[in-house]
Amino acid sequence: MPTDPAKFKVAMEISRKDILLCLARVPETKRLFAGSSDGCVYHFDLAEEKPEGVAMEGHTGYVTGVAVAGKQVVSGAYDGQLIWWDAESRQKVRGFKAHDRWIRNVVATRDGKLIASTADDMVCRVWDAATGKPKHELRGHANLTPSHFSSMLYACAFSADGTLLATGDKIGHVVVWDVASGKPLGTLEVPEVYTWDPKARIHSIGGIRSLAFSPDGTQLAVGGMGKVGNIDHLEGKAHVEVFDWRKQERVAKFSSDKAKGLITHLAFHPQGEWLVGAGGDGKGLFLFLDVVSGKVWREEAVSNHFHKFTLDEAGTRIVTAGHNKLTVWEAMA
Amino acid sequence: MNSHFCGSSEHDVSRRAFLRTLGAGTGLAASGIGAMHSFATPSLNDTLKASGKSVILLWLAGGASQLETWDPKPGRPTGGPFAAIPTSVPGVHISELMPQMAKRMKDICVIRGLNTKNGDHGGAAQLMMRGRADEPSLRYPDMGAVLARELGRADSKVPDYVSFYAATEGRDFSRQGSSFLGARYAPMKLAESMVPPNLKRLESITELDHHARAELQQLINNQFIAGHGTGPVKSHANAYARVHGLMSSETLFDLSQEPAKAREPYGPTLFGEQALMARRMVEAGVPFVRVSRAWWDSHGQNFETHQEMVPELDRVMSALHDDLKQRGLLERTLVLAVGEFGRTPAINASLGRDHFAAAWSAAMFGCGLKGGAVFGKTDKDGQTVIEDQVGAGELFATVLAAIGVNPKKEYHVGARPIPLVNPGIKPIAQVLA
Repeated sequence: MPTDPAKFKVAMEISRKDILLCLARVPETKRLFAGSSDGCVYHFDLAEEKPEGVAMEGHTGYVTGVAVAGKQVVSGAYDGQLIWWDAESRQKVRGFKAHDRWIRNVVATRDGKLIASTADDMVCRVWDAATGKPKHELRGHANLTPSHFSSMLYACAFSADGTLLATGDKIGHVVVWDVASGKPLGTLEVPEVYTWDPKARIHSIGGIRSLAFSPDGTQLAVGGMGKVGNIDHLEGKAHVEVFDWRKQERVAKFSSDKAKGLITHLAFHPQGEWLVGAGGDGKGLFLFLDVVSGKVWREEAVSNHFHKFTLDEAGTRIVTAGHNKLTVWEAMA
Repeated sequence: MNSHFCGSSEHDVSRRAFLRTLGAGTGLAASGIGAMHSFATPSLNDTLKASGKSVILLWLAGGASQLETWDPKPGRPTGGPFAAIPTSVPGVHISELMPQMAKRMKDICVIRGLNTKNGDHGGAAQLMMRGRADEPSLRYPDMGAVLARELGRADSKVPDYVSFYAATEGRDFSRQGSSFLGARYAPMKLAESMVPPNLKRLESITELDHHARAELQQLINNQFIAGHGTGPVKSHANAYARVHGLMSSETLFDLSQEPAKAREPYGPTLFGEQALMARRMVEAGVPFVRVSRAWWDSHGQNFETHQEMVPELDRVMSALHDDLKQRGLLERTLVLAVGEFGRTPAINASLGRDHFAAAWSAAMFGCGLKGGAVFGKTDKDGQTVIEDQVGAGELFATVLAAIGVNPKKEYHVGARPIPLVNPGIKPIAQVLA
């Protein structure tokens, strides 16, 4: 029996003064690591009665990527640094300048052996999680947009088995990479998320903000914001497209009627029962989709903008990191 | 409309000549009298007009963030993600998004204490362009019109006031205009194209015919003026001559005249091209050019917007600085970068910043200004001005003073004297060279 998305309710809220920009969970636990606008990584243990964030200081910019790899946590920030932390002691293991520009995302393979980081230098770097040594430097995205402005490499995601890695940029270009060889296996184009406005405001704010492979790795979901009239306010419809990436065929396209803004994170249910996207404009949004039938399970604007979330192994608990708040959502009977 | 005291332009001219003998600084500045007439001859401040001074306004429409440009607050909750970098002026830091301007800071003057009290796009744009709010019964001329009148030369073959505004958003917010100064000083607005419409000679008219017609018209005009030489008639003839001159200066609007080496520093964007065009125009004698870069209104994703737009501003502004300097034009050209307001220090839930007029910044360089000067200071979070607060009037007066126009000068609408800035408003002496 699939988890009914309608049953997700707020179970706990932790108010914050900062902005939580990224989130990772230690598998099979309620322990979380969140990246903050104050340059710290915070450790939360939701098993505690009153969980409070414990700061891990090391970055000098917004912390925008965090991943758990075995017994280590790796964080990346706008300062271009990657920092390895011991997940138990929360002590810094190593840190170095990994990118010349803002790091946008950090992800880990499920087995914890590899880390990938994407940044606005338009490079995705794959690292040995245990040693911090570089494995691949993946270059498949243009530095400039067609309008001559700097592009951004916002999103990356590993497949569940760790053999595939997808990267997505500001203009809607996706590359799927073979992790073993570092070679590209295919590309996709999602131009609708590139919200360049050539006439009214002459700039853009969109881009591919999230990627997720289906559990079997055959499908790739791409999230962002669709066509927008006024890009000042993130007024575009939340936008998700799902591809059979090997065939370069789009199998589903969702444009929300109820929720506006960016889809900043996507995840498939562990058994593939649904795809969940979150993000928002000034408010937050949830979008639960049945990729097979095209059915929208749940589409809802909520009070708090989300930047990232975690979904547990059973698909029954979602924790969202956002503006001034960490929120736990549980599927309640 | 006839607003001369007695309707006689001869009287007007003779009065000017008389008043000129009184000298400057009497408080009865003469050049404005008769300014309300759309065909009136320009002021007689010949020395200033002959100086060839110009102003380029880089109009940051929609409101650029002071925190991501000239007044960064790194490490503060309001500071956002960008670092501050040192500049060529010891102790002065600006946003890391402006490395080129940081290198040139010894030539740049930054005003960090603007409190303009108006956070509405339209009202604020008018305020900043005019230096004050309109009265119910009186609309003031904007900076371009005033400077066109004060700096424009009657014999000029180029426009006195050109305004580029390519984006559609906010294009009409500032309602640019010459008001009582008349259409003579209204902007030539270039929106969709960088070339004025109908500039080219009709193909059905040969070059020879075109010149012959102009000569015939001038002959008839001269004969008529000799017998009936009123101010309006002369001005009318001048207007024809200016249009003809404009048509003959078609190449002025042709950027392909610039070698690639000159174009490259400005970059490939429209803003860059328009800034280069502005340089060409001031070089050709246009007194006031507004180059608008819209739209900075980053209520959502402020940092993405500024990461895209500030580097462009940095490149274009520094290219303009270098170009003017290399051509010896910086001594007679003032460049001002400002919009209608700044943006809130508080970061909203969509990582945006909203309208904010209580503590924001402008930057200037060139003619009459003290390079490296930083005037005004905001608190540690950028919420309030804590030292040397100024408003739109002071900024307006500073531009006038730097360019050599006495801000206390008065125009007249009917019998009513209209000072260029409101009474009590003074230029910022600390930034004037």
